Amino acid sequence: MKKVFVIGWNSLTRLVRERSNVFFVFILPMLLVLVLGAAFGGTNDPRVGIVSVDAGELGDDLVGRIEAAQGVDVRAWDSREDVILAVERGQLEVGLIIPEGFDETLRAGEEVTIEFVAQPEQDARALRNTIESAVTEQGALLRAAAFAEEQVDAGFSDALDSATQLAEESERVTIEQDSVGEPFVFDQMGQFELGAYSQLLLFVFLTSLTGSTALIQSRQLGVSRRMVSTPTRIGQILAGEGLGRFLVAMVQGIFIMAGTAIAFGVDWGDWPGAIAILVVFAFGAAGVAMLMGATFSNDQQAGGVGVLVGIGLAALGGAMLPLSIMKIFSPTLWQVAHVSPHAWGIEAFEELILYDGTILDIWLELAVLGTFAIIVFALATWRLRIAITR
Amino acid sequence: MGDAGDGLVMECRDLHKAFGDIVAVDGVGFTISDGETYGLLGPNGAGKTTSISMICGLLEADAGEVFVDGERMTTRSVEPKRAVGYVPQDIAIYPDLTARENLTFFGRLYGMGGDGLKSRVSEVLELIGLAERADDKADDFSGGMKRRLNIGIGLLHKPHLLVLDEPTVGVDPQSRNAILESVERLSIEGMGVLYTTHYMEEAERLCDRVGIIDSGKIVAEGTRRELVDLIGSQDRVRVVASGDLKSAAEAVDGLPSVVEVGEREGGLDLIVGGAASNLTEILQKTTGAGAVVTSVDVDEPDLESVFLHLTGRARRD
Repeated sequence: MKKVFVIGWNSLTRLVRERSNVFFVFILPMLLVLVLGAAFGGTNDPRVGIVSVDAGELGDDLVGRIEAAQGVDVRAWDSREDVILAVERGQLEVGLIIPEGFDETLRAGEEVTIEFVAQPEQDARALRNTIESAVTEQGALLRAAAFAEEQVDAGFSDALDSATQLAEESERVTIEQDSVGEPFVFDQMGQFELGAYSQLLLFVFLTSLTGSTALIQSRQLGVSRRMVSTPTRIGQILAGEGLGRFLVAMVQGIFIMAGTAIAFGVDWGDWPGAIAILVVFAFGAAGVAMLMGATFSNDQQAGGVGVLVGIGLAALGGAMLPLSIMKIFSPTLWQVAHVSPHAWGIEAFEELILYDGTILDIWLELAVLGTFAIIVFALATWRLRIAITR
Repeated sequence: MGDAGDGLVMECRDLHKAFGDIVAVDGVGFTISDGETYGLLGPNGAGKTTSISMICGLLEADAGEVFVDGERMTTRSVEPKRAVGYVPQDIAIYPDLTARENLTFFGRLYGMGGDGLKSRVSEVLELIGLAERADDKADDFSGGMKRRLNIGIGLLHKPHLLVLDEPTVGVDPQSRNAILESVERLSIEGMGVLYTTHYMEEAERLCDRVGIIDSGKIVAEGTRRELVDLIGSQDRVRVVASGDLKSAAEAVDGLPSVVEVGEREGGLDLIVGGAASNLTEILQKTTGAGAVVTSVDVDEPDLESVFLHLTGRARRD
């Protein structure tokens, strides 16, 4: 067993030592997760910039009501000029300026005008409705308080508190919402999650396949054959070479998983489930890499084929175009995509991340990936045994 | 196979190996004793490397047996392989690892570890003259240094039998001499050595016994003296010439005193009975056939002469 680890560890050492691998294994995946997260990730809620300087308690109350509304991304701004500029530049869909002294003016029973800013071509009607409903809600309370002040000679503030309390206690109409159909992945996860799991699967596979060139070089140089001349069983050599490929895949996967969790706050869902996906997927990728390393006799040829196969299976399996979109536009393609192990990996990660699934909920995906891994590893072992002993 | 006590470190018997229709090894058998250096000489494709591969347990024989230290060697063997240090013809090292890392890696595969491995690696680095470059990547080494590292890996576990497959191919004279001196020293220390080479002078210098292999068979075996005696009082004549060498070779081949003729680049190699009395006739035939003779060397019989005599062709470097 010790010799198996010696051979496996040697493969890993050689991968990490290669300078170009530092970029392709460690830097590029993180960059891609960052770029994808910046480009496609995050909320799609329209951004509303609100200026509420010295607007008082009622000003804060109104901001709170708008923030509480669903489907609005509220951001605080300092000045009217800045918020208008931000709308002009497209940084905000809408700007809202609550004037200074908003609270005092309302309590004095006077009218206040809130400024609503949007680009002419922007369809801001839905946003305006959201903001108007918040204003109306607050206005109703203010009118109730004014009425109470007038009728029972109570102070406006006390009357407003009573009205607010009554409003909270009274029965209200509630809307129960049911979702139908598949949720759209972009809307269901954090900014970097989609990029993180798709890039993890892509790079684990790609790095493994391009790493198959190291095995070919070992064969070309006669090092594999030389190992056979040592008192090391052929089974140990094969297991060691397999372990080496597996370690390479796992290092790539663990780096992306841990790196994106720490650097970008990616939530991988159920950790045992996420680790299980990585392990079986890495096992399969290692098997394919070993099969290539045992079959090809030219490392450059294998490197080129490895990149093509790695990227091709990733693209087909939904690492570039989400499977949920693929399913809408071409159910047939979606079915074909499942010949790629990436598709099973992606669906397993989506189960964990989108639906808070656990390892038990992804047993089918794990079983498929595990079966794939066992088949390719068996083929690879058979081929490599022939290659080093003939 | 005798027991370890009889001094034999390796015995192979009646080895056969074919690749499809091509018979690579056809009944090869010989023994090597402790401290003996055995040379296996033969032209390209004669079956040297295939024989070595079976002896080292890299290749399964179709028939025949190999015993090392009294134990049968196959591709699945473990114990006999501990006794063998294999130095392949190709430089089988990791170019992206340092000399020390290469030695340490293979040392672990030989079951070594800890301080013992560390100190042995340092010893071998001294032995092969790479102590100063121990932590440099092998890729940065010259061809000779790589060859030395290639040999060092084979020596690491102090084998009883060192198998060197053409270890000096493509090596500069200085490195070649260092390698030959190392082999001589190891033999004196009691290690059995199996040495294949194209270079007759190496075989003459190193080998206690020589087996000449051709077309998968050992056609002659013995000490240098025994082999030279096979061709009796024949001389080796090297004719340096230009022009129509083919016609010249055909012309001299018909002379009764000429035993063997080999055509090579820049002249002819001949085995001649009584060169002193027949040289004039040979030169007349050579020039008469259209060759222009520049010089003639007459040597006492050596392994080269034996090789030419037995295989019927000049050695190809």
